Amino acid sequence: MDPVRFYSSIIKRNIKRPEKVEKLIVRGLSIAQLYVSLFKDKRLPESLQYLNAFCIKSVRDSLAEPQNSAWVNIFSPTEFLIALGVKPLFTEAYSSFMSGFFIEDDLIDAAEARGISNTLCSYHKTFIGAGELGILKKPRFLITTSTACDANIPTFRYLSNKFGAPLCIIDVPYKYSKEAVEYVKKQLLDLVKVLEEVFKRKPDIDKLREIVRTENRTRALMKEYLNYVGQKSFIPTMTFEMYMLFASHVFIGTGEVLNFYQKLLRDIRNAPEKRGKSVFFVHLPPLFEKNFKEYFNFSEKYHIAASDINYDFLEEIDERDPFGGIAEKLILSSFNGGIDRRASRIRELVEKIKPDGIIQFCHLGCKQTIGGTFVIKNLAAEMGIPFLYLDGDCVDKRNNQEGQNRTRLEAFLEML
Amino acid sequence: MIGYVCKYTPVEVIEAFGEEPVRLDPAGKSYESAEALFHSNMCSFAKGILENILENNVEEVVLTSCCDSIKRLYDLLKGRVKFAYLLDLPRKENPMAADLYRREIADFISTYGVFKKRDFDEGKLSKILDEKCAKGKRRSSAGVALMGARLSKDMVEKIENSCAAGVINFTCTGEERDFDIEVKSDLLRGYAKALLELTPCMRMARNRENLLPRNLKGIIYNTIKFCDFYSYEYALLRAKADIPILKIETDYTDSGSGQILTRVDAFMESTGIKKIEETKTKKGYFAGIDSGSTSTNAVIIDENKNLIAYATIPTGPKAIESAREVFERVLKNAGLKKEDISATVATGYGRVSIPFADMTVTEITCHGKGAFFLDGTVRTIVDIGGQDSKVIRLDDSGNVVDFAMNDKCSAGTGRFLEVMARSLGVPIDEMAKVTEKAKEDITITSMCTVFAESEVISLIAQNKDRRDIIHALNKAVASKAVSLVDRVGRKGRYMMTGGVAKNLGVVRAIESKLGEKLIIPFDPQITGALGAALIALEGKSG
Repeated sequence: MDPVRFYSSIIKRNIKRPEKVEKLIVRGLSIAQLYVSLFKDKRLPESLQYLNAFCIKSVRDSLAEPQNSAWVNIFSPTEFLIALGVKPLFTEAYSSFMSGFFIEDDLIDAAEARGISNTLCSYHKTFIGAGELGILKKPRFLITTSTACDANIPTFRYLSNKFGAPLCIIDVPYKYSKEAVEYVKKQLLDLVKVLEEVFKRKPDIDKLREIVRTENRTRALMKEYLNYVGQKSFIPTMTFEMYMLFASHVFIGTGEVLNFYQKLLRDIRNAPEKRGKSVFFVHLPPLFEKNFKEYFNFSEKYHIAASDINYDFLEEIDERDPFGGIAEKLILSSFNGGIDRRASRIRELVEKIKPDGIIQFCHLGCKQTIGGTFVIKNLAAEMGIPFLYLDGDCVDKRNNQEGQNRTRLEAFLEML
Repeated sequence: MIGYVCKYTPVEVIEAFGEEPVRLDPAGKSYESAEALFHSNMCSFAKGILENILENNVEEVVLTSCCDSIKRLYDLLKGRVKFAYLLDLPRKENPMAADLYRREIADFISTYGVFKKRDFDEGKLSKILDEKCAKGKRRSSAGVALMGARLSKDMVEKIENSCAAGVINFTCTGEERDFDIEVKSDLLRGYAKALLELTPCMRMARNRENLLPRNLKGIIYNTIKFCDFYSYEYALLRAKADIPILKIETDYTDSGSGQILTRVDAFMESTGIKKIEETKTKKGYFAGIDSGSTSTNAVIIDENKNLIAYATIPTGPKAIESAREVFERVLKNAGLKKEDISATVATGYGRVSIPFADMTVTEITCHGKGAFFLDGTVRTIVDIGGQDSKVIRLDDSGNVVDFAMNDKCSAGTGRFLEVMARSLGVPIDEMAKVTEKAKEDITITSMCTVFAESEVISLIAQNKDRRDIIHALNKAVASKAVSLVDRVGRKGRYMMTGGVAKNLGVVRAIESKLGEKLIIPFDPQITGALGAALIALEGKSG
């Protein structure tokens, strides 16, 4: 039996004993972190080995030190947490890791048994279920933005209520205007006041400026990286598309992420010229879907070019006014605002990367993305690129119809 | 006319333009046209609204950024209807949010003015708002609160009709539009502020904890598939509130309304707020007729609660004919005439279409009554019929105190097994005999009948032993049933009723999951009809 499955069977057996499960998860992550540092996967370029260890460590650290951690959604302005040395844990990462441990079904069932809707996004249900079972320990603080997903505010409010931990909601307007920026900026200023009270640490504006500067440098590297994606054969796995969320969102602004992008750029420059076919993903690829794993992980024939969620904001943040700058970033994300904003970002990326096909994996319950399916489909048709949309679930493996997906995925890949 | 959906829409501005604002309700018997434009996993509310717009050629629509589905609906309508507008609605309630919303309303006014080639008269708005002044108005007291996602008008009326106490509507658009605008110097600002101060829906950042009036008798909580907002509140209320809560799931097409009404009625019956007309008959013979989706059953008892006769026939295309037929048959079995029957109670899906019944009572109350009569130790009833499955919890006196029912879906019901039997090419009776695995323990992961069928087909393609597939299907049905049991909480002893109780494979699978033996009555299909007959004798459902 594969060691992860074996370990997961131990966790599953103990699922009713939250303290033990929590310990097993932290220990499992520690072992994984040690393992990937000692036994590097030779198939992966150095940058991705580095990112692998970084992501495992950051999830482990936030779980091991709940008193110094804050739960966030992927679009939360974590710059303020990084400035205070607080460890963020984001819903999408935690739930993906639990799916990696093969226990997402138990967590989802626990959430649904309490009355949480079975059509809610499984990233959220898994997270809530872990909270309900007491596998997640009370965090010090919670931050959510209203960006992209209806579930953000209610999930965080529910968990804040359940754990009695303070929550800050950042309401991000849908439309951009000067007033909208001021509205968000005021909320960010208030957030810092609350953070100061909760963590008893005073955030330093110079430190914040430095983080924003690092963030800007990182984004410059990100854009340079995109110039190579269409020309080189860089073969990651789907897991790395999820890991990229750590780098493009929650931990951007840290030295580690800057370091990662420097390595990534070096690796892609040295990568061989493009061979095989590349596929661009709208939203995210399904890490745990069997057929996708078979076709995309370490495959010379088909590889993942990029996912649009990792490039939702590519501008510079104003270093002189980090509060206003971050407010602008939140409002201008391509995941905020009408579908045409998202579509034009996808168009830009596709024109740059020139993938051979576009796949939109319609994650069950994610209405902001699936509601735009036909717009993206038309865009792809207009650009003359084959497009496939498939329904399924990025976390809850039970919601994937592998047989049906296989036929459709294979037929699509045959078209490329 | 101009269509809108969200209560935060500046409806009064539209009125001031001299236009008629019409709140759009989801329409259509199906979402055929909507699903050609919208992914099928969008919420049924948004699909129903789209269907309405397409069906009725609505030309002007004003929406807010209230939820992901409506935002995408706007993306879709833009360029498809003559005028589509989206107001960005803040989630917070503070001066800056009011400024922001004021600006949105002002932008809407100028855009709509240009579209209509009409000037906006603020004086008119002021007059309209004065008429809707909130001062002096008080909320009426209520017995039942409707909460959660919006319910169709028709459903609200039906609930009001079956409730003896007042009904207060807290669903997302249920509220009266009463405003208190104090500062008149900047009317739009005051209006924007007043709109943001309406009872917050779940989408807003404000808490809704102090929403409920005191002395409520119960809450009917409506959810819809793929609407994320409301289930959280339901989960919280269920954990904290000390008043009974009924959760229903609607999808705005009419097809599920019969089943929903059964649940609403049963809820009213169990909370003691159902409008009932009591009949007082105490002597003679009493009949109960259970008009189910698959079978129609009838029972006759005498005044001493002795079972005189019973009959079961398959339900034909017309519920009323089957009811007549089974009634004649049971009379024949009992050697009685129609005139000998003092009172008849009808229950089951078709109960409302049985004209010769003196009273109709839901099958939930009837099953409770029948099961408790058969065995006074029963506290939980697992009833799996042709089209629905339910779990009923009784108190020590046999009163229904809670129940859970499958949603509008045949997962885990008799129909599920029938469809699977057809795929396997095995008669249903044969399937019922398989009580354990033959070679390996297979698990069917999809509970949806349609998906499970393709799973079964692929298992057949893999040459799996048919008995193992059947065993897996029985386990699947059992696991659905036990999850319903868990919704009301486990409490023995358990009785299983309904046609599926005759399937030994399912019975054994449920027993193994519950870790307890199930009581199976001598004929599990007649429990509901027996309960109905008992109610006919007692003359009341409580």
